[in-house]
Amino acid sequence: MNFPAALDIDWVVLAPPLVLLVTAALGILFSLYQRDGRPTAYLALLGLATAGIFNLHLFLQNRLTGEGLQSFGLSYLADQPATALTFVILLGTALAILVSFDYLERAGLDYPEYYPLMLLSACGAIIMVAAGDLITLVLGLEIMSLAVYVLSAWRQSAHESAEAGMKYFLLGAFASAFLLYGIALMYGATGGFRYGEVAAALFSEDFGQPLLATLAGMMILGGLGFKAALAPFHQWAPDVYTGAPTPVTAYMSVVVKTAAFAALLRIFAVIFPGLSPVLIQAFAVLVALTLIVGNFAALLQRGVKRLLAYSAVAHAGYLGLAVLAAGAAGTRAASWYLLAYTLMNVGAFAVLTLITDRNDYGDDLDRFAGLGRSRPGLAATMTVFLLSLAGIPPLAGFTGKILVFQAAIEAGYLRLAVLGIITSVVAVLYYFRVITYMYFREPEYDLPPTRSRATGLAILLAAAGTVLMGIFPGWWYGLLSVGQRLVAGL
Amino acid sequence: MTLVVILVPLAAALLLMMATTGVQRALALFATLVTFVSALFLVGAPGISVPWIPGFGATFTLGAEGASAVLVLVAALTMIPTILYAGRRVEQRTGGFLALLLFVQAGLNGIFLAKDLVLFYLFWEATLIPSVLLLGIWGQEKRRQAALKYLIYAVAGSFLMLIAILAIKPLSAAASYRFSDLLAATPSLPLGTQVWLFVGFTLGFAVKQPLWPLHSWLPDFHQQNHPSGAADVAGTLYKVGGWGFFAWAFPLLPAGAEVVAPVLLLLAAFTALYAAMIATAQTNIKRLLAFASLSHMGIVGVGVFAMQLTGLNGAMYLLAAQMLSTGGLFLLSGMLHERRGSFELDAYGGLARTAPALAAVTLLVLLTSIGVPGLANFPGEFLSLLGAFQSSVWLAVLATLAVVAAGVYGVNLFQRLYQGKETRETRDLDEIELLVLLPILAGILWLGLAPAPQLGRIEAQSKVITEQLDARAQPPAILPGIMSARGE
Repeated sequence: MNFPAALDIDWVVLAPPLVLLVTAALGILFSLYQRDGRPTAYLALLGLATAGIFNLHLFLQNRLTGEGLQSFGLSYLADQPATALTFVILLGTALAILVSFDYLERAGLDYPEYYPLMLLSACGAIIMVAAGDLITLVLGLEIMSLAVYVLSAWRQSAHESAEAGMKYFLLGAFASAFLLYGIALMYGATGGFRYGEVAAALFSEDFGQPLLATLAGMMILGGLGFKAALAPFHQWAPDVYTGAPTPVTAYMSVVVKTAAFAALLRIFAVIFPGLSPVLIQAFAVLVALTLIVGNFAALLQRGVKRLLAYSAVAHAGYLGLAVLAAGAAGTRAASWYLLAYTLMNVGAFAVLTLITDRNDYGDDLDRFAGLGRSRPGLAATMTVFLLSLAGIPPLAGFTGKILVFQAAIEAGYLRLAVLGIITSVVAVLYYFRVITYMYFREPEYDLPPTRSRATGLAILLAAAGTVLMGIFPGWWYGLLSVGQRLVAGL
Repeated sequence: MTLVVILVPLAAALLLMMATTGVQRALALFATLVTFVSALFLVGAPGISVPWIPGFGATFTLGAEGASAVLVLVAALTMIPTILYAGRRVEQRTGGFLALLLFVQAGLNGIFLAKDLVLFYLFWEATLIPSVLLLGIWGQEKRRQAALKYLIYAVAGSFLMLIAILAIKPLSAAASYRFSDLLAATPSLPLGTQVWLFVGFTLGFAVKQPLWPLHSWLPDFHQQNHPSGAADVAGTLYKVGGWGFFAWAFPLLPAGAEVVAPVLLLLAAFTALYAAMIATAQTNIKRLLAFASLSHMGIVGVGVFAMQLTGLNGAMYLLAAQMLSTGGLFLLSGMLHERRGSFELDAYGGLARTAPALAAVTLLVLLTSIGVPGLANFPGEFLSLLGAFQSSVWLAVLATLAVVAAGVYGVNLFQRLYQGKETRETRDLDEIELLVLLPILAGILWLGLAPAPQLGRIEAQSKVITEQLDARAQPPAILPGIMSARGE
C-alpha cells in the first residue's frame, strides 16, 4: 500500500465537518460556564449554517469545475453525491435542533451539552458520507454513533430512555465489531482500504481470495445494515426510537439513516459488483424482509411514536431498493428520497412533540382524536407529512417513491418493486389511520395546548419543503444530476 | 385556459381555508363560475408542455383536445349547483367542505387534461384524498367504515396501476411519459407485455369506474356521505375509470386491449344489468341512486370495451351526461332529505300535490337518467349500446335489459316519492333550490338536444384508438407485396 504525499490535505474540503467539530468543542467549553441551553443552541445553529456555506462552496465548485474534490488521497471525498447528502445531514440536524429547543425546556432536560453532542454526531455523519476508504468510514460511524448513544439516553428519569441508550450501545458495538472484522478481512483479501484499491484488486484477473472477500462483504453489509435498520438487523430500532427523546428520534431516523445509506450506496456501487452475486441476492432478500416487516409491524401499533419508528424501518426498505440500483439512477433516487424523507419525517416527529406529555408519554392514537378541530394548523401539517410518507401525490414522498421504484425496475428488480408498491398500500392504511383519528373523530379529552415558536418554525419549513419538493421535483433532481461523481478513483 | 381551469379551483380552495366565514360561500361560487367560463373557452386552447422531472422522463403536459374539453366543461357546469347547494346545506365547517369540493374539481380537471402519464396519475391519486375526507368528516354515522373501505379499494387499485405506469416507459424505451411519446413506442410492445400492463391499468381503472366485482365500496360511499348530496356529486364526477381506459389504456396498449377487452365487456354488461336489478329492490334513496349510477357506469364500460367508434363516442358522451343527471338526482335527494330528514322511501309519498315543481323537476331528471330521447343521457346510451351490438350481440342484449330495468326503478322511485297517499304537507322549491336546479336542467336539455358538436370533439379522440386497432387488424403494408410476389 503506497501512501500518496502525506501533505495531501485540502482544508477547505474538510471544512464542513471541521466547523462542526470546532463549534461542538466551543459549545462544550461554553457550557461549563453557561448552564442555560439556549446560547449553546444558537451557537450550534450558527455552526451548522457556517458548515452549510462551506458545503455550498464545495458543491458549486464541483459543479463548475466538473471534477470531484477530495482530500487525504481519495480517503475523504467531497464529490457531488457527498456534498448533496451533506446538505441533507445539515438540514436534518438543524431541524432537529429547532425541535429540541423548547422540548428540552418543557421536559426539564435542558442541559447545554445536548447541542454539542448533536453536532459531533452530525460531524461523524458527514465524514461517513464523504468516506472514500473503509477506515474513514469506521471513524465517521463511531463519531456519529457514540454521540447518539448518549443522546438516546437523555431522558434521565425515564427508564425506557436508559434502556434505549444501553440497547443501542451494546448492539451498536456488536455491529461495529462485525463491520471492523469485515474490513479487516477485506484488507486481508485485497490489501487495500480505499474503495478504488479494493475494487481494483477484486476486479483484477489474478485475484485469488473470492471467498474471503465475499465473507468480508457479508460482514460489512451486516454492520451497515444495522445502522440503516434493515430487517433482520432492525430489532433495536423500535425500542430505541420509542425510548429516546422525540427530537433525538427525529434526528436518528433521518441523519443516521442518511449517513448509513450514503455509505451503502458507495460500497454497493464500487465494491460489491466485484464480489459474489450471492451477496447482492442476500441484500435483495434483506430489502424484501424490511419492506414486509416494517410495514406490517407498523400496522399493529397504537402508539404513534412506535408507528413512526416502524415506518422508519419501512422507509429503510424503500431506500434499500435504490441501493440495489446503486450507480447513477439509484444513487440519484436515493439522494432525492433522503432529502424528502428528512423533511417529512422530522416534520411528523416535530408535530408529535407538541402532542405528547412533557415526558414523551401519551402518544396513543386517542390523543390525536379531534385534533383537526382543536389544533387545525397542527393537524393540517401532520396530514401533509403523513400523506407524504404514505406516498400520496403531489407531495415529496410520492416523487421519492416513484424515483426509487423506477430505478429498481430499470436495474431489473421488478418483483421487488412490485413488493414495494404492494407494501405501500399497507403503509397508506396505517398513516391514514392517524388522519382518521384527527379528522373523523371527536376529541376525547382536552390536551394541554403546547406551543413552541421554534418547533412551529421547523414544522412550517418541513411542510413547505414537503409540498414544494412534490410540486417542483425537478429542482433538487436537477442539482443531483450535475457535477462529477468521484467514485473513489475508478 | 388549460392551466386556468385547474389553478382557479385550486387557488380558491387554498384561499377558502384562510377566508373568514362570511365570504366563503361567495368565494367558492365565484371560483366555480370562473372555472365554468374558462372551460367554455377550452376548445382550441393551446396546451402546455414543460419538463417536470428531467431524467425521470415525466413532463408537465396538459392538452384540451378531443373529449377532454367536453368532460371538463360538463363537470364545471355540474359543480356550480353543487357548490351553491353545499353552501346552503352544510352547516359545520362549511369552508372546509367547499374547499375540498374545489380540490376535487381541480384534480378532476387535471385528470381530464393531463397528457403525461405520470402527471395523470398524480391528479388521479391526489383527488382521492379530498373525496375520502369529505366522506370521513361530514358523512353519516358509519362514515369511518365507508371511508376506510373506499380508501382501501382505491389505493390498492391505483398503486397496482402505478406498477404498470412505472414499467411502461423502460419496457417500451419511450422518450418520455408524454402521451405522444408513449403512443409512438408502446403499441409495438410484444403481446404478453401489453396484456399484463393492460391488466395493471385495469385494476386501477376498474375500481374507479366501478366495475363488478370491484364496486362494493360504492353503495356505502353514497349512503354515508353528507345528506346534502353535494359530496355524492363530487364522487359521481370522480367515476373516471372509463376515461382512463379511453384516454390511456386503449390507445397505448391496443394488442393488450384486444385480449382483455372482451372479458371487460362481459363484466361491464353484467355490471349494468346486475346494478339495475339491485336498484329496483332498494328502499333507501341514496343506495338506489348509487346502484343506478353503477348501472350507468356499466353502460359506459360496454361502450368503451366494444372497441367500435360509435361505442367509444357514446361512452364518453354518456360519461359527461350522467354527471348532470346522476349529480342532479343526488342534489334532489338532498332536497328531499332537507324536507323529511330521511332517505328511506317509506317516509315519503304523495309529495306531488304540495310540491308540484319539485315533482316535475325530479321527473325530468329521472327520465334523463332512464335514457329518454331528447334528454342528455339518450345519445350516449344509444351509441354505447349500438357499439356493443357491433361487437357482441348477446352482451349488448344483456346491457340493454339494464335500460329496461332502469325504467322500472325510475318509475318506481317517482311513484313512491310523489304519488300515492299523501303523508304530510311539503314545502315546494324555493328560489335558491330553483337556482340550484336551473344549471342541471339547462345542461340536460343542451346535451340532449344538440349532441353533434360535443360528439364531434369526442370522435376526434376516439379515432386515435380505432386507428391503433385498425393498424393491428391489417397486416403491415409490405406483407401483401411479398405474398403476391410469392403467388406469381
